[in-house]
Order: sequence, then structure tokens, then C-alpha cells
Amino acid sequence: MTAWRKWGRGLAVFAVLVASGLAGGARAENAPAEIKIGHLHAGSGPYASISMPVYDSLKLWVEQQNANGGAFVKAYGKKIPLKLISYDDQSNPGTAATLTNQLITQDKVDLLVCDSGSVLTAVSVPIAREHKMFLFDPTGTGAAFFSKDNPYIALLADPVSTVWPRYLWEFLKSDAAKLGIKRVALLYATNDFTGTQANSIRAALKEPGSPVEIVFDQGVPTSTSNYSVLIDNIAATNPDMVLELGYVGNDIAFLRNLQESGQKFKGVFTLYPGIETNVLRKNVGAQGLAGVFSYVTALGLTLKPEVGMTVEELRAAFEKAYGEGGVEFGWNAIAGHVTGLVIGETLAHADSLSQPDLHRAVFGLSGKLKTLVGTFELRDDGAQIGELTPIGQFDATGKLGVVYPSDLATAKPVLGAP
Amino acid sequence: MLLHALLGGVIYGCYFTLIGLGLNLVFGVMRIVNLAHGDVLMLGAFAAFFLFHLAGLSPFIAAPLVMVGFFLLGLPFYYLVVPRLALAKDAEMLSLILFFGVQQIIEALAAIAFGSSERSIPGRVLGIGPFHFLGQNLSRAWVIGAAIAAGAVIALYLYLYHTRSGLLTRAVMASREEALASGIAIHRISARAFAIGLALAGLAGVFAPFMLGSVTPAMGVSVNLSAFAVIIVGSLGNPLGTVAGGLIYGIGLLLMQTYFSAWADLLPNLLLIGVLLVRPTGLLGRRVRLA
Repeated sequence: MTAWRKWGRGLAVFAVLVASGLAGGARAENAPAEIKIGHLHAGSGPYASISMPVYDSLKLWVEQQNANGGAFVKAYGKKIPLKLISYDDQSNPGTAATLTNQLITQDKVDLLVCDSGSVLTAVSVPIAREHKMFLFDPTGTGAAFFSKDNPYIALLADPVSTVWPRYLWEFLKSDAAKLGIKRVALLYATNDFTGTQANSIRAALKEPGSPVEIVFDQGVPTSTSNYSVLIDNIAATNPDMVLELGYVGNDIAFLRNLQESGQKFKGVFTLYPGIETNVLRKNVGAQGLAGVFSYVTALGLTLKPEVGMTVEELRAAFEKAYGEGGVEFGWNAIAGHVTGLVIGETLAHADSLSQPDLHRAVFGLSGKLKTLVGTFELRDDGAQIGELTPIGQFDATGKLGVVYPSDLATAKPVLGAP
Repeated sequence: MLLHALLGGVIYGCYFTLIGLGLNLVFGVMRIVNLAHGDVLMLGAFAAFFLFHLAGLSPFIAAPLVMVGFFLLGLPFYYLVVPRLALAKDAEMLSLILFFGVQQIIEALAAIAFGSSERSIPGRVLGIGPFHFLGQNLSRAWVIGAAIAAGAVIALYLYLYHTRSGLLTRAVMASREEALASGIAIHRISARAFAIGLALAGLAGVFAPFMLGSVTPAMGVSVNLSAFAVIIVGSLGNPLGTVAGGLIYGIGLLLMQTYFSAWADLLPNLLLIGVLLVRPTGLLGRRVRLA
């Protein structure tokens, strides 16, 4: 009996192996010639400077994958070449909406990646949801995009806007308050990205017992290119610190106008110097950045990735691929690479390319995937919450040191520096 | 706050006068709508950027170089495009379409050539520190931009009203058909006006990095919107009416920024709608435009 049992078990194992081998073969035979990734980018218009680095970096990742035979797709048990179909929406939300539809209904892409930034992401979110298509969202951080009843989105490379300023308001209410920051001016561009952050900061600073009060609170259009009068108006309210939240162009104009105005504040925080440091340094100069507080991204942190390249490896690859093409390497280029990594890991883990399986695979990566920007961690509504956005300050040489939180700090905050 | 907004508005408005000046001259003489005006300005800005960063030339030296260069480019471009355009039944409408295409081409080529990142020239090039006037600290770049704009307006005035070529230009502006019947070489005069229009746009572009914070290939569209608001408020087809339009635009913008900052980008549209409803000829216009 024992011998028969052994034979029986052996036959059963053999049958399972044969069956799975045949199934694998069948899966491989049914594999598509390519995996289509649909994407939008802004080749021109006001969002081109944040969109093109993401696009270039994603394109670079796809080329690298294809150079190695493609990405491994678990659903077919083999490597399959990737095809990036990326349309230029020219920074126009209406065009972005049309092209999102085109990617889904005409090109029938396997994976859908929206354009960068909250303004252009906003139009793709409802369209993807309507078509039950999972949206890979590189950097659209507006809090309104994420809700528990929408399983068709995940934010990949940026923390959600409500998370970005957490360390900022903590810093204001603790270390900065101890250093004498009592009155704060809040100036922000009225878009989902910076508007949400402004709301979060406002709510935190208006909590009972807050040692800091807001003495100036105004929104400006994202198209604002001149801040001279606003700076004068802010100075009239006598704040200790000014928080200016805008896109790249806003921050450049603000910091240049601040230099020209002759106005001095104890502290100035702007958003993009730590995000697109190269661009800001070229436009404002090291002198214009001296003393400015900003977020510290992977560019200023030394994080060891478990998947993909380090910041310096990516910088070298990006600059080798694109040279002096006018697209600067910065945070958005990193975001494009992270988008590629998440797509790659999703394909490697998804049981099929159906949208529910893609959703499961992406959310299955949460807390496990460590890239050059930190831990990829999703809230159950798809918002990214794993990455860190410490607060840093530029010194006179243009170097950004972390000043908050204390466990990451590499420098002490200095007030009155700008 | 009010005094600063008013003073700043006057000075900032002078720069918008310069932005609108060339556009209005071209429309006044040729009755064509140059939708690529903002992109010509953008090219002037990039020319100044590269002249500074590659050759070390300050904007004060770049300005005449850019003006001469754009003037010389404007002459053949005029003969290539405008005479054929003028033969059309509805040259105004056709010019809108044609120059929209030109605008798209310039922007696309500029994006390919220069990339999409923001570029600028250090503010210290125009001097360090603010300019003090009536107890207010005003941007030095604004004051210099205003002075350049004032110089351009005066130069254009002298050209139009104190030179024979200017007299002929005004004759063409008054009536192209009558000027032709009088034996005026309208294409030569128009080509000159077109080239001057481009040169003025180029001049405005040289100072754009200082006035607008930074420049990108995409800036042309928003510049166009401001320029159209300025010339329609002042008077379409009357280059000197642009001064009134520019000042109203500048003061209006800074008052909006002071009291209704979140709505400031509505200003060009509000001005356009308001003027077209109340006084379609513009504040200094005499004739009603039927087209």
C-alpha cells in the first residue's frame, strides 16, 4: 500500500507539473506582442516644465526595459516589450480629456498613465473612472482625486497634497515658533496642488492653542508672474515668515521680485526650490535661494532603493540620454522613473492585465516597494503617503540642509537669512 | 497699499504699452491680426537670454541688436506672407488663421530648440536694490522697463509724426485704397511698419525675463491676451492709443492683485468685454470697427 501511495503521489505531482507547464505555455502563446502604456505629456504650455521631465524619464525607463527584452509580465510568464503611446496635450485640460478618451477607446492601452501635476490630472480622473480603467497617477496630488468609492486611481511618485505640508506646519508650530515665528503670511496659487496644501496649513495653524497666527492669506492665479505688489501688501501686515506656494514659474517670479523689492522677512518658505533645484538655482541664483526654506525631496536625501536606480545613477542616465536638451533633471524626472518602476512591479505581480488585477497588484506593492524616493505606500483610497517631505533650508552656497524633523536634520534653521 | 498699487500700476503699465505697441502698429497699417506677436516677443526674450549667457551681453546692448535683427527678419517675412494675404476677401479673418499657425510653429520649434524649462537673466544686471519714489520701493526692473517703453513710444511718435515715411504710414493707416491711388508704395511702407512691429515685440521680449519673472516657449499665448486687452482698450489700430490701454491694464492688474488677488487673471477678459460693450472703438478710437 505504501508503494502504491508513493506512486499515486508521484503521479499527482507529475500531473500538476504537466498541467501548469501546459498552462504556462498556453499563457505564453497568448501573450501580446507588446504591452501598451498610454500616457499624456505637455510638450508646450505652462505645465511643460513639470511634465516633460516625467515624460522623458518614463520614456528612458521604457527604453531600458525594452533593451533587456521588455518587462516581465507575470500574467504571461515572460518578458514582453513595452510600447509607450504618449500624446501631447499642450497643457490644455480640454485636450487632455479628449486624449485620455482616445487612449482608452481608440488605442485600447493596457495601462493608463495621466499627465503630470494636479491641473492636468484632474480631467483624467473621472474619465478613467467612467471607463473602469485604472489610472496610474504620477504626480497629480490634489486631495479631491482620492476617495474610497473610486478604486481606479493610485498616486505613484508624490505624496498627496495633504501630506506634503505636514512637516511644514509641525515645524512652524514647534521649532520655528521657538525661534520667534509668531505671524505667518500665506500666499498660494489657486490650483489643486498648492490650494490643498494651503488648506492643510491653514487648518493646522488655526487649531486652538497654535502659537502661530496667519496675518495674510491670499490666493493668486497660477498664471501670476509678478509678485511685487503682493510682497508689498504682505510686508504691510508685518509677518515674521512668508509661505509662498506655487508652481516653478510662480516661485521664480516670487523670489526674484522679493530680491528686487528690498523687503526682508525673518523666514521665507517656497515650494519648488527643493523640488526643481536646478531650475530655481539657474533662475534665482544661489544668492536668491540663500536662507529660503523648502521641501527636501529625494534630491536632497540619501535613500537607498531596493528597486531601480539611485538618484545619482538616474541623473547620469538622464543627462546622458537628453544632454542639454532644455529639460532639467529634478524631482519630476525622478517621479517619471518611479512611475516606470511601479508599472514594472505591477506587471511583474498582476495575475492578469484586467483592471481589477492591476489594482490589486499596485495596492499589493504598498509598504513593500522601496525606490529612490522612499517607501511606496498607498492609503486605501489610492493616495500616496509613504514618502517623506522634510523641511530644509538653503545655505549661502546654495546647499539644502534638512532642518526638520530632528531625526533627519543635517542643519539648524537660521532666521533672517534671506 | 493703494499708493503702491497705483504707482506700480503706472510703471508696470508702461511695459504693457510696449508689449501692445508693435501689435497695434501692424493692425493699424495692414489690418492684419498678428497672433504670433507674443511668440515674437518670446523669441526676443530667448535672444536676450542667449546673448547674455553665451556672449555676456547686457540687455542694454542686446536690445538694439535684437531690434535690428527682428527688423531685418520682418522685411522678407512681410513680402513672403502679407501681400498674398491682402488679396483675400477677408484678410483680417485669414490673418487670424495664418498667424495662429505661425504662432503654433514658432512655439513648437522654440520648445524643441530651447526646451520647456523656465529661463531668465539675473536681476542684478539691471542694478541692485529697489527704486525709491514717493516713499515707495519700486522694482528697478519695472522702472527701467517703463523708461524703455516710454522711449519706444516717443520714438514711434517721432517716426509717425515727424518723418516723411511716418506721414506715408499714417496715410496707409487712414485708407489703404486712397494711399494706393495716391501713388504711395503701400507695400514698402507696410513692410517697414511690419518690421518695426516685430522689432518692438523683440524689444519687449528683451526685458520680459525681468518683468515676467522667467520666460518659456509657452509664454506667447498669455502675452497675446494681455496685448490684445491693451490695444482694444486703448484703440485698435491707433498705436499711440496703446499708451492709455497699457496704463489702464497695469493699474487694473495691480489693483486686482491688491484687493481681489485670486481673480486677477480675469482682468484682461473683463477689460475686453467691458470696452467692447461700452465703447467698441476703444478709449481713444474715432471709428467703429465693423469687422
